Amino acid sequence: MFELNDTIVALATPPGRGGIGVIRLSGPGSLQILQELVAGDDFHPEPNVLTLRSLIDPATNETLDRALVCYFKAPHSFTGEDVVELHCHGSPILLRAIIDVTLTLDARMATPGEFSLRAVANGRMKLSEAEAIRDLVDAQTDAAARQATRQMKGEISHALQPLQDELLKIIVRLESSLEFVEDDLPLIEQDHLIASLRDLRSECDRMASTFSRGRLLRDGIRVTLIGRPNVGKSSLFNGLLGHARAIVTDIPGTTRDSITESMGVDGVPLIVTDTAGLRVSTDQIEAIGVDRTRREAADSDLLIVVIDGSESLTEEDHQVLSEAVNRRYIIALNKSDLGGFSATRITDDPSSIVSVSAKTATGLDRLRAAILEPFTNGNANGEGLLITNARHHDLLTRTIDAIRSSENLLLDRASEEIILVGLLNALRYLGEITGETTSDEILGKIFSTFCIGK
Amino acid sequence: MVFDEFFDVVVIGGGHAGCEAASAAARLGANTALVTLNLDLIGQMSCNPAIGGIGKGHLVREIDALGGIMGRVIDRTGIQFRLLNRSRGPAVRAPRAQADRTLYRLEMRRTLEATPNLSLRQGVVTNLIIENKRALGIELQDTRRIGAKSIVIATGTFLNGRIHTGRRTYSGGRTGEPASIEFAEALKQLGFRVGRLKTGTPPRLDGRTIDWNSFERQPPDEQPVPFSFSTDEITQEQLDCHIGFTNERVHQAVRRNLHESPLYSGQITSVGPRYCPSIEDKVVKFPDKNRHQLFIEPEGYDTNEVYLNGFSTSLPAQLQQELISLIPGFEEAEIIRPGYAIEYDFVDPKELTPFLETAEIRGLFLAGQINGTTGYEEAACQGLLAGINAGLSSMARPLFRLDRSEAYIGVLIDDLITNGVDEPYRMFTSRSEYRLLLRHDNADDRLEPYGRSLGLVGDAEWDRLFKRRARLAAVRQLLKEYKIRRQDESYAHLTALTGQDLGDSLSLAQLALRPGVTPQTVSSILSDAHAEVTLRDLETALADHLYSGYLETQTSTIRRLHQHDSMKVPTDFTFTQVGGLSHEIVERLERAQPKTFGQARKIPGMTPAALSNLLVHLTAAAPTV
Repeated sequence: MFELNDTIVALATPPGRGGIGVIRLSGPGSLQILQELVAGDDFHPEPNVLTLRSLIDPATNETLDRALVCYFKAPHSFTGEDVVELHCHGSPILLRAIIDVTLTLDARMATPGEFSLRAVANGRMKLSEAEAIRDLVDAQTDAAARQATRQMKGEISHALQPLQDELLKIIVRLESSLEFVEDDLPLIEQDHLIASLRDLRSECDRMASTFSRGRLLRDGIRVTLIGRPNVGKSSLFNGLLGHARAIVTDIPGTTRDSITESMGVDGVPLIVTDTAGLRVSTDQIEAIGVDRTRREAADSDLLIVVIDGSESLTEEDHQVLSEAVNRRYIIALNKSDLGGFSATRITDDPSSIVSVSAKTATGLDRLRAAILEPFTNGNANGEGLLITNARHHDLLTRTIDAIRSSENLLLDRASEEIILVGLLNALRYLGEITGETTSDEILGKIFSTFCIGK
Repeated sequence: MVFDEFFDVVVIGGGHAGCEAASAAARLGANTALVTLNLDLIGQMSCNPAIGGIGKGHLVREIDALGGIMGRVIDRTGIQFRLLNRSRGPAVRAPRAQADRTLYRLEMRRTLEATPNLSLRQGVVTNLIIENKRALGIELQDTRRIGAKSIVIATGTFLNGRIHTGRRTYSGGRTGEPASIEFAEALKQLGFRVGRLKTGTPPRLDGRTIDWNSFERQPPDEQPVPFSFSTDEITQEQLDCHIGFTNERVHQAVRRNLHESPLYSGQITSVGPRYCPSIEDKVVKFPDKNRHQLFIEPEGYDTNEVYLNGFSTSLPAQLQQELISLIPGFEEAEIIRPGYAIEYDFVDPKELTPFLETAEIRGLFLAGQINGTTGYEEAACQGLLAGINAGLSSMARPLFRLDRSEAYIGVLIDDLITNGVDEPYRMFTSRSEYRLLLRHDNADDRLEPYGRSLGLVGDAEWDRLFKRRARLAAVRQLLKEYKIRRQDESYAHLTALTGQDLGDSLSLAQLALRPGVTPQTVSSILSDAHAEVTLRDLETALADHLYSGYLETQTSTIRRLHQHDSMKVPTDFTFTQVGGLSHEIVERLERAQPKTFGQARKIPGMTPAALSNLLVHLTAAAPTV
């Protein structure tokens, strides 16, 4: 549910790569978060004026970005509250990282439409009819995304329901032992209870941990093709895309600038970038292209290192492979249609090596599958459900913390009513996703589980 | 209109709600009359002879702190006091007492008769006199008319009461007493939405025919904890209760005869309380349980009558006798009064304001079982609130209400008027989201200031509260300052007790949070140097200390979730205008007609998405400041 007193954060510019990305904070803590980000308690920005500052992660002291920051003092802001805007460089990974840091500084992910809601609540936005705000809410996501969220909402509730039921069962045990002390109830075994809570928490943990992959699936996986010149990056790019978008010639270094296109694979958005071949070049334009390739590579979630499988590895190939080290990457061994092709040319151990022929389109499906593999697999129970919504992730994290605190109290032999504080809060957090459990429902569950009463 | 008599406040009904209502109104200064069917049965305990328990005991403490009378009456007439949940935290402990049924009734009558401004009248109320949506008075069967500025209706199970034993059913308000038929009809005529509820009661046995050695003895507390803050000590003799069990033979007999039970023959269709199931329900709904617990409770000092708690039934009387004798120890037991089920009318409490006044008719207040609750304590606290407000209303003073965060009474009334009832409503501590705050031992601190400003708390009680507050402040200070050191004599014992190393020095406040440390532990440490610290004060101070860390956790989430609850739904608001709501949700909203967002939130089946949408619309519709 909406809250109006805390500080919320969200990306204000459309998701994806842009020249700049604007992160907006609104709420009483905005200024303080800004001060912590720029590592200056004494930073008192003049309202409505842009200032260039380095943004620093207070936990690691690492500089995140040089950004133009601006403070809008309440009530003279979009929402009528203290607002801070961070105009950063437009890398999605960078923007995510900065938002993550603000979350550790006590901001909360805004729900869709929440900035507008605050604006309305504070009288900053005049809306003659209520419908308009809903349009605003909807406008923040495109039709497809809306559809996806809707489906996801149902799916997430569905996946969380067993957890909520299990939590309710534990609450019911504890509540009934408090309320019906004179009744002939089965004893609660503490070890059993702790084990149940631990299982519950690890299941919540597992779901929460899918978030990093989940939000890639929502926002799109950024895939960059890299390789030395003339290994067939652009041909593969066109092959993946299904039409000739990039110019393909036999002349090494044809691609001077990066081209980015979106495509869907199995319903997952991919943002694929074809880049200029990496080599030391004396051509100034090509050199700029190479530079850009490195930046694209740094921004991507997955690299596809394209290697000509019909030739021996060159020094340049090794150079490219070394660029990919420590990154998530797969190798596309191209030109499998040629005579000299050997699938065992590479002995390194990337996530995956796919033999492919851009020319004959052989192996493209395997390549597509290999792109998705690191993001969709490894889901312990293979249920495939990923948390994609930041608010859901936030609530799951709170649930986990609440359950953990109750576990510790249980170990300390605290009385049930104290242990229940955390568990009831956990139930409320889960309820914000799946629907509220009223005290009457808890009582109902008690009466259907135990024979209570004189 | 010509009246035979005229009062500021008239209270209809002399049960637990009616008694509190009449007493409160009169003591506020309103000239009050209590009208009841039978003056000899004022304060009658119609069901089990006990007051208090978890949740209910909290209510009695709150009634007492506000200046009500139930706590004092039970303190003088209780025959077995027990503090429940002693092994658990202070927030869920609560006092409970068995009463001498007759003494309780007489003490209540004596208390009312000693109250200035209060007149008792016997009579059968048949109608209300209403003009321009304002209550003016009542009509009695004997044609008397009594005028009043405000009226409290507290008729309990008497409205259209129908008693069932086996296939036999007859009209009655309680066993042996007539129901109110005409008055029930009159309320319906006034347009109140009326429903039916059911409750039941077990048989009473002749104690001389019981083999007491067959049952486990349940002794009273050695140090009885009183209900009233003004009672220093319980001095009367305390009695034992006993515990027994049903067995498979009984269950089989119940199953064989289910067709004889009006609950299962279709004769009774209304809903009874799930937490007070009949023996028929217990056997049918929990077939795996091979025994059910029974409490064998004395009804008083000077009677052989024994209450068989846990054996509520509406099976035929002859069959009840048969079933009882299948229980070892009851082979020879004789039933004095058979158990029965009773169905009665209640008025949908959603038609009430937080002051328990009807929204439709000014000056008319409803309290107790008529509002769909069950239990003496639930009835009494409503009676108190309704009586206070009827009195205030008659004197044109502003009305009085309690918030959910202040008192269980506030929780109860809010639940009733927001959700209505679909089964008899009983208090549980889990109904309150502020459980750690609403303790029985701090009810005086929470509520006595209200009682005082209303005029219900006398000088002596007020003085006592102030002294206690001062003592508690001193105890808190002492807990912080008093240090236990490694070289102290008690140190080794405390290390053993907690199983922890306690460091070189720690305060009593810190010690109290360690596992295994009880208020008694702390008390014994203080007993030499600080004999002036009572265990009662120590318990309260330690409870505040124990919970202080959790209160923030408890309340912050609630605040977050409930902060929009007071947002009003405009009267002309149409739910269809909220886009994105399913047809079903719109229907639910239209049926419930919530007046605030908080009420909408509590409608069953509301999804978070629907509530977000609604909230956005309400926010947009709300006038901006």
